[in-house]
Amino acid sequence: MRLGRSWRVHGAAAMFVAPALLLYALFIVYPLARSLWGSLFQWRGLRQLGFIGLYNFFRLFAEPSLTRVAGALLHNAAWFAGIMLLQNALGLVLAYLLFLRNRGSQLLQSVFFLPAILSPVIVGALWRLLLAPDGPLDAAVRALGLTDAPLTVLGDSGWALWVLIAVDAWNWMGLPVLVFLAGFQAIPSEVFEAARLEGANAARILRSVALPLLLPAVSSLTTLTFINSFNQFDLVYVMEGVQGNPSYSTDTLVTYFYRLAFGAEGSAGITDIGLALALGSGLFLLLSVSTVAILRYFDRKAAAL
Amino acid sequence: MVPLYILIVSCFKSTGAIYANSLGLPSSWTFDNFVQAWERGRFSLYLLNSLLVTGSAVVLTILAAAMAAYPLSRYRLWWGLPLLGFFLAGIMIPVRLGSVELFNLMKSLSLLDSRPGLVLVYAAIRIPFAVFIFANFMRAVPQDLEHAARIDGAREWRILFQIILPQIRPAVGVVAIFTAIAVWNDFFFPLIFIFDDDLKTVPLGVTTFIGQYRTDWGLLFAALTISMAPFLLLYPFVARRLREGVGAGGGIR
Repeated sequence: MRLGRSWRVHGAAAMFVAPALLLYALFIVYPLARSLWGSLFQWRGLRQLGFIGLYNFFRLFAEPSLTRVAGALLHNAAWFAGIMLLQNALGLVLAYLLFLRNRGSQLLQSVFFLPAILSPVIVGALWRLLLAPDGPLDAAVRALGLTDAPLTVLGDSGWALWVLIAVDAWNWMGLPVLVFLAGFQAIPSEVFEAARLEGANAARILRSVALPLLLPAVSSLTTLTFINSFNQFDLVYVMEGVQGNPSYSTDTLVTYFYRLAFGAEGSAGITDIGLALALGSGLFLLLSVSTVAILRYFDRKAAAL
Repeated sequence: MVPLYILIVSCFKSTGAIYANSLGLPSSWTFDNFVQAWERGRFSLYLLNSLLVTGSAVVLTILAAAMAAYPLSRYRLWWGLPLLGFFLAGIMIPVRLGSVELFNLMKSLSLLDSRPGLVLVYAAIRIPFAVFIFANFMRAVPQDLEHAARIDGAREWRILFQIILPQIRPAVGVVAIFTAIAVWNDFFFPLIFIFDDDLKTVPLGVTTFIGQYRTDWGLLFAALTISMAPFLLLYPFVARRLREGVGAGGGIR
């Protein structure tokens, strides 16, 4: 096309791109860039004062903040591990079963995916009701004679985090099922045929034949899971409150960030913008570096095959 | 599915009946919970707000993203690829981490506590994904029709909206559905940007409602059902497109 060279074309292209670019730059890129820069300044309320270098980061990793950051980081890491296992690994197995079964699987796929269209807030509220003492699941557990004690998992600091992770896995189970199923269907049937002729059983085929071919799906799900696990907020807020009750056992980095930024941390509920921005910047760096690292890792693995 | 079953049957029971018999079908079906929830909560308002915000955000996202994707995918521009990369980086950006400065920006633009403010933010969040999808699909559209139209003297915007967009209708559908779900379900931005009860969207409104009627279970279950009803009713119609969209590797959040 000879169009590409004239100024008229550049002008027209720029005009077409302008609205999207303006929205994206103004409401996403600019606030994020300012937040990164602002983490190097002292703050009083919402007012930016003088440059203080890395002092906010120093405060973030010193007591009393260190306990919160370390706890939240641990919970987010547990969340990532839990979702990888409960949601993605289980989703892989379910997708494989659907693939082997091959009939009526479209309806089942839709059923699995249904919770994913619901708001995490609604899902969290629903599960909080279901899991309440004297609630429906409590009744079910007792009817089965499993225990006589009232169900208090949401108030138990040893259990609460894992319950939340399980609810999140329930919410998003359909995602790995759909992604993996599409992956299975993209594999030529001769590959499975050949493996079967060599006498491999279904489990063996999944592990040694299909999984290596599903690496792109595994890679994108891992990345997505990582980002989502370190952004958890809604479920915790609705099911355990913004403090991550009981006694901070479900606190995450974003709930801590929210309390620092919008005022619910400490007894007086005062904001600490400097700390909030340092935490936000730290988390942003962690997410960016890790995302690139995860993608690289899987790329290299795929190349090694 | 069991949780959803319990949810639905619980809506038709009195709170007492939920305590006594939480798993079975209700002995007497009652719509009382829905009536009560509808009257005491302000769900018609919350639903209307969600509908307005979601609808506007979807339209704005599709328009802006389609316009941007068109030259970036079909013109030969030296700045096309870098700019596309700049947009794509936004798919993974954790937007919430910039929310303090976003809050300040919204305040100085007088966009706090307003539905248009939410719409602009949501469109901005969803544009990178939409540009990505549109650019991919547009690249595959053959050039012939476009050339013919250009020879006929059609302007660029007509080529985009009357020739290109109709040919990538599946992509428009995927973007519309995914944007609608993400926007409708979002809780974080209404939580920090909306204070006026009249402007609350469904996820925020329902948490307010839950806070007020902690112990009235029948009412709470009914409120949850009302909140998820629009998408539950739409689900059978969009399920196929969703399956294809997700299977093709698109993320929702």
